[in-house]
Amino acid sequence: MLHVENLTASIGGTPILNGVDLDVGSGEVHALMGPNGSGKSTFAHALAGRDGYEIDGTATLDGADLLAMEPEARAAAGVFVGFQYPVEIPGVNNMYFLRTALNSVRRARGETEIGARDFLSVAQEAMDLVEMKPDFLHRAVNAGFSGGEKKRNEILQMAVMEPRLAVLDETDSGLDIDALRIVASGVNALRGPERSMIVITHYQRLLDYIKPDFVHVLVDGRIVESGDHTLALHLEDHGYADFVNHDLDDAPERPLSGAAR
Amino acid sequence: MTATSTADHQEMIAGLTYPTKRDEAWRYAPHDVLGQLSFGPPIESTCELPPALDASIPALEGPRIVLVNGVVDPERTELSALPAGLRLSTFDDARRDQPELLAAHFDRDVALSTDMFTALNVAFGRNGAVVHVAGGHAIDVPVQIIDIALPDEKGRASCSGVVIHLEAGASATVVETRIGDGDLGGSNTRTTITLGAQASLAHIVLQDVASTQVHLGRVDATQGAGSVLSAHLFNLGGRYGRVDYAVRLAGEGARVELTGLYLGMGDQVLDQQVTVVHAAPDCTSRQSFRGVLDDESTGVFNGGIEVRPGADGTDAEQSNDNLLLSDRAEANTQPRLEILADQVSCKHGATVGQLDSDALYYLRTRGIPEAEARRLLIGGFADQVVDTVDNEILRTWITERIRRHDG
Repeated sequence: MLHVENLTASIGGTPILNGVDLDVGSGEVHALMGPNGSGKSTFAHALAGRDGYEIDGTATLDGADLLAMEPEARAAAGVFVGFQYPVEIPGVNNMYFLRTALNSVRRARGETEIGARDFLSVAQEAMDLVEMKPDFLHRAVNAGFSGGEKKRNEILQMAVMEPRLAVLDETDSGLDIDALRIVASGVNALRGPERSMIVITHYQRLLDYIKPDFVHVLVDGRIVESGDHTLALHLEDHGYADFVNHDLDDAPERPLSGAAR
Repeated sequence: MTATSTADHQEMIAGLTYPTKRDEAWRYAPHDVLGQLSFGPPIESTCELPPALDASIPALEGPRIVLVNGVVDPERTELSALPAGLRLSTFDDARRDQPELLAAHFDRDVALSTDMFTALNVAFGRNGAVVHVAGGHAIDVPVQIIDIALPDEKGRASCSGVVIHLEAGASATVVETRIGDGDLGGSNTRTTITLGAQASLAHIVLQDVASTQVHLGRVDATQGAGSVLSAHLFNLGGRYGRVDYAVRLAGEGARVELTGLYLGMGDQVLDQQVTVVHAAPDCTSRQSFRGVLDDESTGVFNGGIEVRPGADGTDAEQSNDNLLLSDRAEANTQPRLEILADQVSCKHGATVGQLDSDALYYLRTRGIPEAEARRLLIGGFADQVVDTVDNEILRTWITERIRRHDG
């Protein structure tokens, strides 16, 4: 389903991804782990279509060339990226945003749009999944949300968008144990034979809740080891030291800014 | 108005000259365009109102006075079935029935006539509307004043006036729509507002004259004790669109909220000049203006807070936020604070920024095409002003107008 081959990414000539190869089959959940600065978030942005990277190599979803598409076309093709730092958008109502997003991809796929009333039940179902209160829909997108609320909003969007491929970038970061449980059970409820997931995380903790079919270790912009979930347990015990042979602290990464201006 | 006072005004005009770039309040105005305007006594228009212009009037029911080129249009004016407590009259009727209200309008203007355009309005703005609400009456239906500029010769600008007088404890909503069509020309309107103690007025200005035209608007307000003025400006149309607010908080505990939105494209210059005078203790003022500027447009916010001696307990805030959609667009913001009292809280802040590229990317990853994502972000920025208007029909009018702006 997702086929990534020799994917490279750099910013201003500085390489970040140095040839990633990854195949994700339908219905599979893959965990992508790695130390800070290894290129995990860049991998997510490369699939989502963020500007500012020089990208080379191959990334196809069901045979369609993702790298040739604008971000909105990738979403229509079924890619959803849950961000580590979701952006605050003051003034834009969460409900309106969600319906615009869903109808945009439906329009792009030649499907009929969903009216306000029908959408409400779609949204309600998604809200129940992440245990959100109704007023949540009437607030501005992520504006003034706590860290946990932002992450839950990402999962809510995923539930509404029903993607073919979900890439969840450090969805566990900044969550307390209750929020982590809610987010993880939301993710688990959205697993299905037609949906694949790549769960990016620094810690094994999340994988206690979301059991992956495969685990990959990304170091220095390359997948250096792949295995089943026991690989994550190994990392828990031994850290990344086995895979790291030089200092990675100054590897470049551009976080999304937390606040909209 | 007597013949003598008209002669006085004309003498006064003769002694005045057009403002120049050296006048701080006129620094960003397109002086070449202003120089092409001509003013004179109103002349009954022979032009038919274009249907599109008629359709651009907000679809509000209720009482209204419509002026075309500074002359009352009796066909479009609606003065029947006025609610109890409301008197809505043309200047002609008011000259007969409420001369004191008109005298106050013109006298006040003479005292304040510091620029040529104000003086011209005093001299030639002989038609207009008087809104009078008797003490304690709450008028639920919005009162509309619609000023239409249809210049029958190039450069012709009309003058008109609006008098709003709310007696103690009265409340009302007045919507002033200024539109136009055709060649260079435009409108010069002056509104004087008097609020009695505890009176409450929502005053909305929709400025949307043609992009070939000029609108010069002035609003002078005097507020009594405990009165509330909520003034909302949507400064959208014109080669040059300008509204000056001068608000005097004269009674203890009065409150004014001024919000504004200006949307510029092409070579528009949209200019807001605001001065709030705190002349009594414990008054509150809020100024909050937002601009969205595209192409080579220019936005101006010149906002003053003056706290007079004895106006202790003043609470004043001012903000101006600008979104530049083009690197040729320009936002000029200038706060003026003059504080001559104790125990005063004055805050002001201004921002100039661009569309947040991270927010744009975020929306696009959710499948929203770039153009739509830009519209959403611009709309979100503007909505924070639009939402300050209570009337849903007006909010819809403004939202649709904004949508047309982003094409």
